[in-house]
Amino acid sequence: MTTSWKSKLRLRDLIGTSLISLRSRRGRTALTALGIAIGIASMVAVVGISASSRAALLTELDAFGTNLLQVQASSVGMTQEPLPIDAQPMLNRLADVSSASAVTTTGFEVHRTTHDASVVGITAVAVDPDLFETMKMSLVAGRWFDDGTRSLPVAVLGDVAAERIGITDLRGGPTVTIAGRQFVVVGLLDELPLHPDLARNVMIGDEAAVALLATKPNPSAIYLRVDLEGIDRTRPLLAATANPDLPTRVEVSRPSDLIEARAQVDQSLQRLLLALGGVALLVGGVGIANVMVISVLERRGEIGLRRALGATRGHIRSQFVLEAGVLSGLGGLLGVALGALITAIYARRQEWVVELPPLALIGGVAAALAIGMIAGLYPAAKAARLDPALAVSGGTG
Amino acid sequence: MSEAPVLHVERVEREYPGTPPIRALAGVDLAIEAGEMLAVVGPSGSGKSTLLNIMGTLDRPTAGRVMIEGVDTSTLSDRRLSGLRSARLGFVFQSFHLMEAVSALDNVATGLLYRGTSGRSRRAKATEALEKVGLGDRLSARPTKLSGGQRQRVAIARAIVAEPALVLADEPTGNLDTATGDGILELLHDLNRQGATIVVITHDSALASRMPRTVEIRDGLIQSDQLQVAVTA
Repeated sequence: MTTSWKSKLRLRDLIGTSLISLRSRRGRTALTALGIAIGIASMVAVVGISASSRAALLTELDAFGTNLLQVQASSVGMTQEPLPIDAQPMLNRLADVSSASAVTTTGFEVHRTTHDASVVGITAVAVDPDLFETMKMSLVAGRWFDDGTRSLPVAVLGDVAAERIGITDLRGGPTVTIAGRQFVVVGLLDELPLHPDLARNVMIGDEAAVALLATKPNPSAIYLRVDLEGIDRTRPLLAATANPDLPTRVEVSRPSDLIEARAQVDQSLQRLLLALGGVALLVGGVGIANVMVISVLERRGEIGLRRALGATRGHIRSQFVLEAGVLSGLGGLLGVALGALITAIYARRQEWVVELPPLALIGGVAAALAIGMIAGLYPAAKAARLDPALAVSGGTG
Repeated sequence: MSEAPVLHVERVEREYPGTPPIRALAGVDLAIEAGEMLAVVGPSGSGKSTLLNIMGTLDRPTAGRVMIEGVDTSTLSDRRLSGLRSARLGFVFQSFHLMEAVSALDNVATGLLYRGTSGRSRRAKATEALEKVGLGDRLSARPTKLSGGQRQRVAIARAIVAEPALVLADEPTGNLDTATGDGILELLHDLNRQGATIVVITHDSALASRMPRTVEIRDGLIQSDQLQVAVTA
């Protein structure tokens, strides 16, 4: 006889039991789950947005290449010691260098007209027609310099410069004034994410600069495309090749390093935001524990009844832990959905590809479940320890 | 079935800690045979609720033994004691203790939840039990849609659905008007005639006098234990 006196609760019935009480308190269930959802959503959004941002940076890197090097005359005080005139052909002779293009500062500001001083800080630089290829530039309108136009008073505007000067298209043949001379704008460049400095310049042909503005032909910077495999070998040679007399006056940099540095900066910001998300999650967990403790007090009658109907302490404990788990699991699902949505909206606005690491999605739900169940442990133990005799008499009907 | 009484309370004492300790039961002996129906009657504070909790194994005595079908309950683990409650005991409470979020049928089926039986057979047995208490037409009604008397009938169906050896009813008519309460008593008598062993705890001596056997309790001790000669239910 006594062998049949064992209380048994099927797993599906345990789950059903936990769901009933959550269903019967919909408003509270939703609000409690929301606490967890906010934490999870912020963490998923942080991971998703930074993953999308990284993906966008990598796309940028792919587009512009990591094999671009910049050789620049370093500044001494306020003045810049320009590179020797033959720096460009010397660099071009190096085995791994596939192209080398020079940029020379003219020292002149660019204005809309001779007497207009509303635009400041935009300067003219003289460029080699090869620069377009070397920098993988693209135009939004017009054309770039060729051997015919490099000596004429024409200009191509970087995107920042164009915006500052107020030239958005080439209709009507817009002009700019450099050192009192008019230059016809023949081209507008697309964004140059790797070279924000260049984007702020107005470019004119190198021969035109020498002939019309008396610019000294010493380049201030030379951009090089180098075979990717040879980049480590070539880089140390550049300073001495560019300026054999004063190699220390030459700065060599790799613009793609900037993007990688940006990705690094993003990472530390990501960690901070993740930590904040974690705090939100923890608060959500405390919220669950809080609600469950109240729930246990309110449901003394139900707990007593279940004990009278044959529930063991273990059954009561499991029911409450599971309730907390379902509550937080729901919050986790909601949070992951919300986080994904935030990521998608943000990434779209930034014109990035939406990138959602699957680990963040699965991890979000798993973390929510874990937090919820841990939060449920204490109230569940409290419920299981209730004296059934007191619980039955203390309940309401 | 064993020869032993369904329930045998032997020299049971129950003290609640305090200064001075409160002695709710001061040595109670009570044996209940299968098929009996009796009232335990006494004023509030007499110890009758404590006795009910101890008979129902919801509380343990400080001294003495509670034997259910010949088994000493003091030796049982929580799991076996819970199993005993689910298989051999049925409870009816004054405040019904129904779950408002689920139907009458599911409330009654909860009486078999901790037996490990399948949902299908739980609902089949719950349907039978609800038919037995006269609510065969309200299976899917939520408790909030039922009258007080109907709610108590649902609670009684839940108590008998597992076919327990003993049904313990704590003031089953306490929250009901006289006419409705009479209907509930009649139902308990019917169930007793069909073989159920029933103990009704009450403070109402008029109600108690309508039971085949009346046990009067006062100050934690049994004052009288009488069989009625003529019963008019």
